[in-house]
Amino acid sequence: MHGITGFVVRRLLLGLLTLFAASLIIFGATQALPGDAARSILGRAAQPESLALLRHQLGLDKPVWQQYWEWISGVFTGDLGSSLANGLAVTDVLGERLLYSSFLMLIAAAISVPLGIVLGAVSARKRDSAFDQTAGVATLGLAALPEFVVGITLAVLFSTTVFHVLPSVIVTEEGVGPWHYPKEFVLPVLTLVIAVVPYTSRIMRASTVEILESDFVEMARLKGLSESRVLWRHAVPNALAPTFQVTALNLAYLAGGIVVVETVFNYPGIGSLLVESVRARDMPTVQAIALLITGLYVVLNLLADLATILVSPRLRTSLE
Amino acid sequence: MSSVDQILEREVRRGMTRQDLIKRAGALGLVLTAGSFGPLTEAAFARTQIKRGGTFRYATPGGPSDFIDGLHIVAKSDQARRMATFDPLALFNTNGKIELALAEELKAEKANQYLIRVKDGIEFHNGKTLTIDDVIYSIKRTLDPKLKLFGQGPLSAIDPKRIKKLDKRTCRLFLSRPDVTLSESFAQHYQGVVPVGYSPTGLGKGRLAYVGTGAFKVKSFTPGRESVHVRNPNYWRNGQPYFDEVRIINFTGDASKVNALLSGQVDAIIDVPYAQVPIVRSRKDLRMYSAPTGAWDPLCMRVDVAPYKDVRVRRALRLLANRPQMVAQGLSGFGHIGNDLFAPGDALAGKGFPQRQYDPEQAKSLLKQAGQSDLAIELITSPQDTGMVEGATIFAQNAKAGGVTVKVTDRADAFYDDQYLKYPFSADYWGTRNYLQQVAVGMLSTAAFNETHWDAYENYPKYKALYGQALGAVDEKKRGAIIHEMQQMEYNDGGLIIWGFKNLTDAYSAKVGGFKIDPGTLNLNKYGNGFRTIYFV
Repeated sequence: MHGITGFVVRRLLLGLLTLFAASLIIFGATQALPGDAARSILGRAAQPESLALLRHQLGLDKPVWQQYWEWISGVFTGDLGSSLANGLAVTDVLGERLLYSSFLMLIAAAISVPLGIVLGAVSARKRDSAFDQTAGVATLGLAALPEFVVGITLAVLFSTTVFHVLPSVIVTEEGVGPWHYPKEFVLPVLTLVIAVVPYTSRIMRASTVEILESDFVEMARLKGLSESRVLWRHAVPNALAPTFQVTALNLAYLAGGIVVVETVFNYPGIGSLLVESVRARDMPTVQAIALLITGLYVVLNLLADLATILVSPRLRTSLE
Repeated sequence: MSSVDQILEREVRRGMTRQDLIKRAGALGLVLTAGSFGPLTEAAFARTQIKRGGTFRYATPGGPSDFIDGLHIVAKSDQARRMATFDPLALFNTNGKIELALAEELKAEKANQYLIRVKDGIEFHNGKTLTIDDVIYSIKRTLDPKLKLFGQGPLSAIDPKRIKKLDKRTCRLFLSRPDVTLSESFAQHYQGVVPVGYSPTGLGKGRLAYVGTGAFKVKSFTPGRESVHVRNPNYWRNGQPYFDEVRIINFTGDASKVNALLSGQVDAIIDVPYAQVPIVRSRKDLRMYSAPTGAWDPLCMRVDVAPYKDVRVRRALRLLANRPQMVAQGLSGFGHIGNDLFAPGDALAGKGFPQRQYDPEQAKSLLKQAGQSDLAIELITSPQDTGMVEGATIFAQNAKAGGVTVKVTDRADAFYDDQYLKYPFSADYWGTRNYLQQVAVGMLSTAAFNETHWDAYENYPKYKALYGQALGAVDEKKRGAIIHEMQQMEYNDGGLIIWGFKNLTDAYSAKVGGFKIDPGTLNLNKYGNGFRTIYFV
């Protein structure tokens, strides 16, 4: 197969291979954790006989390879197994939480990607100006802060201590979609935006600066085009390629970042579920979420590569 | 004879509202003149600030393994939900004394024979009337080894085959061994009463799931997320509960639960981290609930392993704990010092033992006698419970003055698979229990958590024999004397360094009233007695 289709197919197959390798690692890691679900369910007071009985009921006494085979063959048929913690089907447990997490990530991405691109481009255009330097210090400073610090600081600032204008956590009702809680969303989204924008804008700035110094931009300027037209029509589209890569990585990073953000704001998504499931040694749920996040990485990287190819004529033609 | 006004005033003090009184006046055999009340009753109304109704939101820790069972708990989330849904036969009141709940009578006729009679006319959530059959069923279910319920050990003296039903509300229990602590076991927070046939298989599935006699009925429950409980309109205690609805909402992190309280999104939280207490204190719209408990984080020396095998080493290390400092710094002052003896709330225990002091000089001389002048040891601790890591770290500092080098190792996984029970010197954590009940779970060779391996102690056979005698001693004075003898052994030769007992640091909104200081093991006055004795003001 040739061209862009062949590329996509090849990459999808490679992606499957990546997922398979990841599934081995995920499974291995969950096996390496000390303690198990039986202990977590029965608590400290459990007697050895009760533990053995429950382990048998949960299938934890089967050989490791058999447990892996049962899990992975289930994954291929869309059956992620049942939660060891409460017996619900993992797909049911994930259901609403997945909706909540996707919603949070989408809004955060929809704000942070354009914001990062514009901020980076403008900084490049006004290189070494007061604006550029302020933006540089601010973004680098924010990039150095972990999300939980940002999240807690925002909560202190807008919710609990300084101003009391926004809710500090999200308390939802079951079966009610995330869009019913606009106020509750502000702080989690803001935290994620602050986590992602610095990276995108720094890369965008660097690549725009480089492009602005290139010959064809010089040519455009000599043609007498206005500086803003030079920037937005000629420089920015060419500077986007590396930015796509970084954005994809950042979006994938968002999928991990929600683990922390959801915990800080008690947000009912897959991130907080992951934390709780690790604590409960609920391996089917942990494996499902880890696999989902891996899948997201694979897909986002593929999309970024595709986008890079589409905006770079040299790469585009080399495929044909 | 008291007047109508006096009777009604008493009812108001017990929590009846104006509407309740009008409704129930007929039943009480009273005639009201055009619905008006006497001056005493009106004054009582004025005094009560109780506002009925509203939704109480409680932030619980917990996770996807949460469940609701009338006879079982694992995590604190399970406690709160059980308390709301199921009533026990008896409970510990705020003075630490046993108070009857569903039981009208619960007493040891002999050390190996008990009588239980339940109150008349109490209804389960499904409308069925409570009878002694439900109690017998609950006991048998607790003892079923396949179900692995919390109360199986504590109730194990009961012979399930010889429970004798006397009438609809009464039965007699025969024990396979004397156990005067059985009433205490029935009053434990995991021991509710469930209806005959109750056998939930998980989440609201299975027979009679969530059906109790409690003040609230379960409306919905998603483990790890939330449960919603609605007022039981036929509740047997006069006037209770006050809320229309209780929502028990799961929170994963400490920061988010404190923030939720600070921003008014929940009405109560438990276990506020010490560092956050000043923030809560500074707020006029919030209240701290700081109750002393019998919860403790001992440092445990194995009496069967060198160097702790030598009693002089154990005595020396006990003298190297600067208890006031450990409480002041390790618990940020939220606690009181210990004397190497557990069960401070037990009226029969702990009397007449001089408080052990920090004495590095004497410790040095003891260690010299034992040939351990340059002792270097490892103490394994774990962030399992507040104070465990802090206490161990301060102890290591204190021990330097006695010439002992203590290397503190913080192992987060120490409690998985009970590895800590194998370490020669480790930190553990315990809740509040009375003396004999604690001996059963922590000291005997059959105890699940015999951290010090006390059965290797040279006088253990005598200790064990005394324990048996104490369980058979119906007379409290006699039992107290036996307990004293057992504690004397622990005080002189034991392997536990019990440096302090912890306070609860819970917090709630000033809009909520009715919490009472409670020395028991559960947080927030037993979660406001399962949310039934608290209300909005």
